[in-house]
Amino acid sequence: MNVLAKTLTGMALSIVLSSSALAAEKLKIGFIVPNPIGEVGWDHELDRGRQAVAEHFGDKAEIQAVDSVGEGPDSTRVMNKMAAQGADVIFLGSFGHMNDGLKLARRHPDIAVIHAGGYLQHDNFATYAVRHYEGAYLAGMAAGYATESGTIGIIAAFPLPEVVGIMNSYVLGAQSVNPNLGDVKVVWMNSWFDPAKNKASAESLVSQGADVIFSLFPGTPSAVAAAEEMGVYVTVTLSDNTRFAPTRHLAAIQVDFRPIYIAKVQEVMDGKFTGNDTFAGIKDDAVGVAGLSPDLADEQREAILAKQEEIRSGAFHPFQGPITDREGKVVVAAGTSLDDGAIKGMNFLVGGIDTTLPN
Amino acid sequence: MDAFVFVFGGAFMTATPLLLAALGELTVEKSGVLNLSVEGMMALAAAIAFMATYNTGSHLLGFAAGAVSAMILSVVFATLVLFFMANQVAAGLATGILGLGLSALLARSYEAFTLAPLSKLDVPLLSDIPILGPILFHQDLVVYLTIGIGVGLIAFFYRTRAGLILRVVGENPHIAHSLGFSVMKIRFRAILFGGFMAGLAGAYASTVLTPVWSQGMIVGRGWIAVALVVFGTWRPLRVMMGAYFFGAALLGELAVQSGGIAISSQLMTCMPYVLTIIVLAVVSRDAVRIKLNAPVSLGENYRPIG
Repeated sequence: MNVLAKTLTGMALSIVLSSSALAAEKLKIGFIVPNPIGEVGWDHELDRGRQAVAEHFGDKAEIQAVDSVGEGPDSTRVMNKMAAQGADVIFLGSFGHMNDGLKLARRHPDIAVIHAGGYLQHDNFATYAVRHYEGAYLAGMAAGYATESGTIGIIAAFPLPEVVGIMNSYVLGAQSVNPNLGDVKVVWMNSWFDPAKNKASAESLVSQGADVIFSLFPGTPSAVAAAEEMGVYVTVTLSDNTRFAPTRHLAAIQVDFRPIYIAKVQEVMDGKFTGNDTFAGIKDDAVGVAGLSPDLADEQREAILAKQEEIRSGAFHPFQGPITDREGKVVVAAGTSLDDGAIKGMNFLVGGIDTTLPN
Repeated sequence: MDAFVFVFGGAFMTATPLLLAALGELTVEKSGVLNLSVEGMMALAAAIAFMATYNTGSHLLGFAAGAVSAMILSVVFATLVLFFMANQVAAGLATGILGLGLSALLARSYEAFTLAPLSKLDVPLLSDIPILGPILFHQDLVVYLTIGIGVGLIAFFYRTRAGLILRVVGENPHIAHSLGFSVMKIRFRAILFGGFMAGLAGAYASTVLTPVWSQGMIVGRGWIAVALVVFGTWRPLRVMMGAYFFGAALLGELAVQSGGIAISSQLMTCMPYVLTIIVLAVVSRDAVRIKLNAPVSLGENYRPIG
């Protein structure tokens, strides 16, 4: 009895000791992802970032991940729990985590909080975003090559500056390779997630003559699957969606959070972390074109990849002038290109897009 | 013209899950019970049906599994309100939340899986009629069956003894009881039928309408079904027309947007809801008739005495 008790105490003690010893070495990193992790899309890409951190840092990091945490009380609860368990770094995966995350950062100055897509920063609250628009120009080129009817249809989530920027760049890309491109048709979903509406939007655009669809932040691959069913080409944001449209996937704007995540964690380890903003693009390997269709001619594919390299080197900028808006007004003068502030706050549509923005 | 076919032909598919769920809820409400768990039942059935169809390749098995799962949930609701006399609104909401949670949990590993779509049935000759052919005679089997169920329910409510009894139970359970009918039994069957229909609705949504699984894919369609029953003033034909109209309005919004007509998209997005409410309100503006059709004992539990 006595022996048993001693053994147990000893075991418990050694566990406590070893775990505290480990904790001292390991950086505790928490990941909060807003939705279930699927095969493609936002949450899938965030999760790839987490995996990369786990692989890259190995024993030096202790990872905790929670998915399906929307904004609101749920996210506060998960954040506080991570903080209470001694997290050193917390990655927040949703724009909606901004306010709760900022409160958390203010309460725990020792935790590095890294937030996706927000516009507020603090000493220990950094933000990051990806230059989707760079990839969008390339996907738009593919669409311009592939369309036979000259009609491209875009299904977009919300008329927000980031979405408008992606749409503009995409259309500029399409126009750059196809002089006969007609007006681009747009359906605004006004929703981040509605599979049935996403599919119906694709059908609506196709019924009005579109033969290339662009699904812009759909939150679901249902329009991509619908395009395969209807036999029209499809381009899509965030992830390579080839598996949902094996014969009709034209191009995807592939994002990659891995380099950003690894850099941020390294900053924390080196004690160099600050509440700054990262806006990463092709140059940083955070975005690029993927899943190019074999139906594109070799020279078309080469032209797209060459343009990608031009953007990487800085020789080309998707928003370099002259660019005119729908009313024919010059919005970017010849010889200039938009700065990051103007890109992040984009509130105009380039000529050739047949829709309206809210004032 | 293609856009015309898209709106008025596609409206049948868009309306089908709403209509299936609404017809079930209508029957439940006609018996005097308000079951607010439609959204949850649909979500659970959507998950179960998707998993069943994915693993067996059979849409029929998917529909069967979905219907059974929603019926099990409706038995939970029935137990709460019929045997434990729980408040119907609270019990319905609780059961609905349970269904939503189970749906997310059970189909967790199926996120973004896809299914083969259900083929459309073409009717020889009729499908070839210009415009009307593709609108009316190029639909999947479930669309036709749903309309059949709607017509069957009208006949049931207004042409059969059992339908009359069910309505009496909803109007005044005390009278039904004193006439020797078992209020409990009749209400239980109505709730079970409501579960069955919500199950079919969920199965249709996940295996036919958008055969890609995502958690939360029902996005409020169960609530729209509940609203349709009220705005259709508890009359099956009105509910059917309301569902079809709503479906057409939803697609019409998309067609107008893709046509490039310069109306603010935010305004357009709320149009289907506003239009459907206006139309049903105008059609059903006669307050006396609403009172005639609304089940008087709706939402009230009945405790048999003696």
